[in-house]
Amino acid sequence: MESTTSYQRFPKIKIREMKDDYLKFELHSTDTSVANALRRIMLAEVPTIAIDLVEIEANSSVLNDEFIAHRLGLIPLTSTRAMEMRFSRDCDACDGDGQCEYCSVEFHLSVRCDQDQTLDVTSADLISSDPSVMAVDVAARSTSSGYDASDNKGIIIVKLRRGQELRLRAIARKGIGKDHAKWSPAATVTFMYEPDIHINEDLMETLTLEDKKNWVESSPTKVFDIDPNTQHVVVVDAEAYTYDDEVIKKAEAMGKPGLVEIYAKEDSFIFTVESTGAVKASQLVLNAIEILKQKLDAVRLSEDTVEADDQFGELNAHMRGG
Amino acid sequence: MAAVEEYDPMVDDEEEEITQEDAWAVISSFFEEKGLVRQQLDSFDEFIQNTLQEIVDESAHIEVRSESQHKPGPGQHSDFQETIYKISFGQIYLSKPTFTEQHGDVRPLLPKDARLRNLTYSASLYVDVKETIIKKGNNCEEVSEPEPLGKVNIGSVPIMLRSSYCTLYQMSEEDLTDRGECPYDQGGYFIINGSEKVLIAQEKMSTNHVYVFKKRQPNKYAYVAEVRSMAESQNRPPSSMFVRMLSRASAKGGSSAQYIRATLPYIRTEIPIVIVFRALGFVADKDILEHICYDFSDTQMMELLRPSLEEAFVIQNQQVALDYIGKRGSTVGVTKEKRIKYAKEILQREMLPHVGMGEYCETKKAYYFGYIIHRLLLCALGRRPEDDRDHYGNKRLDLAGPLLGGLFRMLFRKLQRDVRARVQKCVDNGQAVNLYNIIIAKTITSGLKYSLATGNWGQANAAGTRAGVSQVLNRLTYASTLSHLRRLNSPIGREGKLAKPRQLHNSQWGMMCPAETPEGQACGLVKNLALMVYVTVGSAANPILEFLEEWSTENFEEISPAVIAQATKIFVNGCWVGIHRSPDLLVKTLRQLRRQVDVNTEVGVVRDIRLRELRLYTDYGRCSRPLFIVENQRLLIKKKDIRALQQRESPDEGGWHELVANGYIEYVDTEEEETTMISMTINDLVTARLNPEEAYSENYTHCEIHPSLILGVCASIIPFPDHNQSPRNTYQSAMGKQAMGIYVTNYQLRMDTLAYVLYYPQKPLVTTRAMEHLHFRQLPAGINAIVAISCYSGYNQEDSVIMNQSSIDRGFFRSLFFRSYRDEEKRMGTLIKEEFGRPNRDNTMGMRHGSYDKLDDDGLAPPGTRCSGEDVIIGKTSPIAQDESSQGQPSRYTRRDHSTSLRHSESGMVDQVLLTTNADGLRFVKVRIRSVRIPQIGDKFSSRHGQKGTVGMTYTQEDMPWTVEGITPDIIVNPHAIPSRMTIGQLIECIMGKVAAHVGKEGDATPFTDVTVDNISRALHKCGYQMRGFETMYNGHTGRRLTAMIFLGPTYYQRLKHMVDDKIHSRARGPVQILTRQPAEGRSRDGGLRFGEMERDCMIAHGAAHFLKERLFDQSDAYSVHVCERCGLIAIANLKKNSFECRGCKNKTDIVQVRIPYACKLLFQELMAMAIAPRMLTKDIKTTKVQKKKVV
Repeated sequence: MESTTSYQRFPKIKIREMKDDYLKFELHSTDTSVANALRRIMLAEVPTIAIDLVEIEANSSVLNDEFIAHRLGLIPLTSTRAMEMRFSRDCDACDGDGQCEYCSVEFHLSVRCDQDQTLDVTSADLISSDPSVMAVDVAARSTSSGYDASDNKGIIIVKLRRGQELRLRAIARKGIGKDHAKWSPAATVTFMYEPDIHINEDLMETLTLEDKKNWVESSPTKVFDIDPNTQHVVVVDAEAYTYDDEVIKKAEAMGKPGLVEIYAKEDSFIFTVESTGAVKASQLVLNAIEILKQKLDAVRLSEDTVEADDQFGELNAHMRGG
Repeated sequence: MAAVEEYDPMVDDEEEEITQEDAWAVISSFFEEKGLVRQQLDSFDEFIQNTLQEIVDESAHIEVRSESQHKPGPGQHSDFQETIYKISFGQIYLSKPTFTEQHGDVRPLLPKDARLRNLTYSASLYVDVKETIIKKGNNCEEVSEPEPLGKVNIGSVPIMLRSSYCTLYQMSEEDLTDRGECPYDQGGYFIINGSEKVLIAQEKMSTNHVYVFKKRQPNKYAYVAEVRSMAESQNRPPSSMFVRMLSRASAKGGSSAQYIRATLPYIRTEIPIVIVFRALGFVADKDILEHICYDFSDTQMMELLRPSLEEAFVIQNQQVALDYIGKRGSTVGVTKEKRIKYAKEILQREMLPHVGMGEYCETKKAYYFGYIIHRLLLCALGRRPEDDRDHYGNKRLDLAGPLLGGLFRMLFRKLQRDVRARVQKCVDNGQAVNLYNIIIAKTITSGLKYSLATGNWGQANAAGTRAGVSQVLNRLTYASTLSHLRRLNSPIGREGKLAKPRQLHNSQWGMMCPAETPEGQACGLVKNLALMVYVTVGSAANPILEFLEEWSTENFEEISPAVIAQATKIFVNGCWVGIHRSPDLLVKTLRQLRRQVDVNTEVGVVRDIRLRELRLYTDYGRCSRPLFIVENQRLLIKKKDIRALQQRESPDEGGWHELVANGYIEYVDTEEEETTMISMTINDLVTARLNPEEAYSENYTHCEIHPSLILGVCASIIPFPDHNQSPRNTYQSAMGKQAMGIYVTNYQLRMDTLAYVLYYPQKPLVTTRAMEHLHFRQLPAGINAIVAISCYSGYNQEDSVIMNQSSIDRGFFRSLFFRSYRDEEKRMGTLIKEEFGRPNRDNTMGMRHGSYDKLDDDGLAPPGTRCSGEDVIIGKTSPIAQDESSQGQPSRYTRRDHSTSLRHSESGMVDQVLLTTNADGLRFVKVRIRSVRIPQIGDKFSSRHGQKGTVGMTYTQEDMPWTVEGITPDIIVNPHAIPSRMTIGQLIECIMGKVAAHVGKEGDATPFTDVTVDNISRALHKCGYQMRGFETMYNGHTGRRLTAMIFLGPTYYQRLKHMVDDKIHSRARGPVQILTRQPAEGRSRDGGLRFGEMERDCMIAHGAAHFLKERLFDQSDAYSVHVCERCGLIAIANLKKNSFECRGCKNKTDIVQVRIPYACKLLFQELMAMAIAPRMLTKDIKTTKVQKKKVV
């Protein structure tokens, strides 16, 4: 326990590309476990706000109440406030009925079709009681930043025919993706190990241009290319490599094993984060780190953990290595 | 070479050949014109338009003579001695479907109303009735004018939806939707009491056809020829005739010669064939031989006939022969003259009725009889193989038309009988005859309705009815509905060991789907039609006979038997009509005329060159299919015709019927198919032209339109079925019918008892060409799921799958479930009527323990009410008579509860309530309950390749494996599901789906095309993926890269209707059966789980006797009885008063309590009722126990 050598590392992040709903960054000097923890938290534990309770006053549309409620739940809402908000189950002041500003936001929707064409009821028809919480596409339209909002008609909830009507009250609450995917702020979060590609230049030079071309073509993604001047094979985009081993197999098939060696760097990760728009991608990562810290705080070595260890009794001795 | 052929600029544009792709334009025109249930509609239309009138016309007039009644007293003397009443039926008329309300209004009926209000969609049938009264006096006769009585209603006939008499016939899509119908619904079924009924086509052996079979030795007979003869438009069962040749070593010791004998109807013993000939008037040996063996130089055949001639040597004239036959008939002890007359009658009317039933048919019959023997001998001489019972050319299909025709004929006869009896009664009693009161429409109305409603084809309580002819239309998925309308049943005993009729026969190519058949008992007996089959509806034989006459066919009167050997025999519908000397020309012109539609296109022309026979068929129920006509190795249809087809403005001009009329395509039936040479593809013809030496045939006559059309509805949904192991296609064909999707577009307007609807159905990424015509894109039944093939934690072992919980949250395979409950205010007697309403606990007897709070004042749960468990959703009570129950003091109960409650294992919302009146004018209600079914562990899913599995685990997105692109699978299936099952089609579907998703197009997975895995792989490689569909994935739990690459891609998955929530069941205590007091059975009754024999054996083996006793006794029907120790019988015990008595023994003391199963007590009492006394003797045991104690 009192070993002097410290294994503490200082992970570094290098941001490659940043947009509102997209972030690509490198994570260095850390372990797979940390990288994966970050990914998992982004997907499942960063809180957002989503519609959770729907009270339907009138519905004469073709979709039934449950159907509409489900669709409403899946509309991403701007959730910058989510980190500060309370879970309605933890909120003492209220019972999460939309009246309480700490844990819920109320929405109203009232649409009736009085024309001959079908009328689309969209997320734009949702009227929020809190201006900071609204459907992401509506928010994007008002700020007109980020993605192209030109032909954005809103997220369709249901289509109405003449005479049909939809009136409802919805309550959005804070929640996490683990409980229901509607609370997940991330569309995709993925990382890959940074590949380390070594071309055996000597062996490569034994190939004809035709063979080189074939070999380069054998990779489904554009990792290698032939320099038009020198006719050398060069790595153009190492990260495009998907560890599919196609080039290695091709080299073997050509009778040139060892033409290329590819390793995955164990402590270097390239992350791609795409947000649903509920939280900005950059904020999503920060929130995730925040939550990871909170979780670590909970298990950080403390009196509690020693106590907890004691619970194991005899087993403890084994666990500590006898 | 090929380039020259295809792109030769010298080839005129007129002559440009078509490609396989162009064939699809032809196929589209076929389905556009015909739809998918044409056989049903055509058959029914034929019944309505022709058969109905024929049946009425063929019926004899009703003629009633007054029979002199004994009238006591000097009654007034009539002027006439005799009155003759004649009633004849004439022209029939059919109304549009109507319905008569209880208060007498007649309104046109729409199918939607019929379905919702449980009415029958039928039209009234009227007939012109004429009556003639002839009064005969002592010396005068008075004939009244035939008095037309006008149209009399003789009953109503259920109308097939979308047939030409249906209100929906040829309606536009908008009109259909306005009438609450689904525009994709194809009709072809009936609505009887609100339920949709399909008539399943019934397969039968074709009649009037000579079959020769070899008998398996040792057997008395060596060969048997049989004809099941049935004259046209006859309701009698076919009369069979057998001609048998004895086997050489048959009779023990006695005659060892190969006699040939015939079985005649109603004759007990077999008659030597020569005697039959002599009875027919052909006495001389030479005459007889001429009719059998057309060529006297054929010594082998002549030799075979020798024993038969010798056998009949003693009978040398017609009278003796007839007497010989008559003696063996059912008449005993009558004069010789009568016997002869009887025999003559049998020969004329019962033997081979299809040849003729009138007088002077002897020549024809002799020729036909001779032909039967001729065929028998050919087979015996090994010149011709025995006939194949399972050849599809020998099968006929009874569709809705003929089935209804038979039923209607029977009912119409019954109506006539009833009318005759009533008229007779009126005439005898001297009353006026009022035909409106005498013709009772109910006979036909309820007769047809009974058979259609129950499926028992024939009269109620009568023998010889077939069950299961009419079935409730399956409405699970659109494909299952279509498939059900194209189903076919062979009424052969299911338990029959014989495998032959179940096997796929070569002749079924293109007619029956090779994949779609149920598993188990009905395997191969229930079949489904292939996509392009046309079942003939039958046409008159007369035009053919006239044509033959014109084209110098010689009939029997004109020829001497000697010329038969050189000429070709001509048969029409199995009946030998004559011979022809230049059949080549005859067949050519006949075919030419058929291609020009001068002769009906469905006529079958079969020329058997070897046998010198020309068989023509005009009968109904033959399977035929369209083929391109080929002449000189070239298709007659050209590119310009395809262009014309594609460029036409409206579907009415041109189209399929014109292609047929132009002679590019013809229908070829199963038997005619044997005489053709069909090329499989259009390319085969091209290569045959270029490379005649290597071509399979140098004289193709036809070409397949597309080989994938051999499949049926369900198998056409499978992508790449040609890459699957064949049973897998069969499994998928069965499973596709259980998949959820959108079964009709008007499901919200319907009140089906059960319905499943998928939230977000998708059209498949990988499709087949046939799907277009099955409307699978418009009404899909599945989702393009991202499927990975991997073990990943192992929660997908043994055909289970791992499913992505996040996908489920987002609506993946969510579905709706509807169940409708119905009830009506039944009338009990004239005064008492049940009433809907909220039952009141104070005055209502027998109320359930469920909640009645959900009910409104009208006794119905309003839409939007959430119900669960045993909540009452329809409240109904009936009044109970006051006096019966208690004496004096009035009971507090005035009503009895008859409410309907929700099934105890289900819950949901009230979706819709329908309150209306039914056919009897009673208030009638249907309540539809809706619930959402979210996929969960235990629910069943399947791909389209017979790969079914249940959900074994759900993982959220972060736990699922992911690719660098961030894709997580929706479903993970275990790799062990693949190798042994060899469903390569699924793998190809997966990679093609991946390409399709990337390119943004549909993938074509039609079988028998030239798509290869290499082509798809190359395309996938171009999209930037590993060419075989593998991807590097990362473990979701740990973030580590998975060592193996994972096969991943979109695969179309189906949600099947089997869900855990409908199956989950457990019980501790619960209801018992009243009779045995053992636990009830089944989940719906909250029953127990059976501890069966095998479980019992297991416990015995363990020696766990007490456990066994607990299971089988204490937990089941434990009961205690009191037994008199003196007599051993059950005594009277009153435990409250603590008094015990055995009345028989006058014993009040020696009584013991014994614990036995209630079933045992029941048995004892039943035995006692049979005067057997089962005594339980307890003393002996007691004493031994006591003794033991003493020893201790």
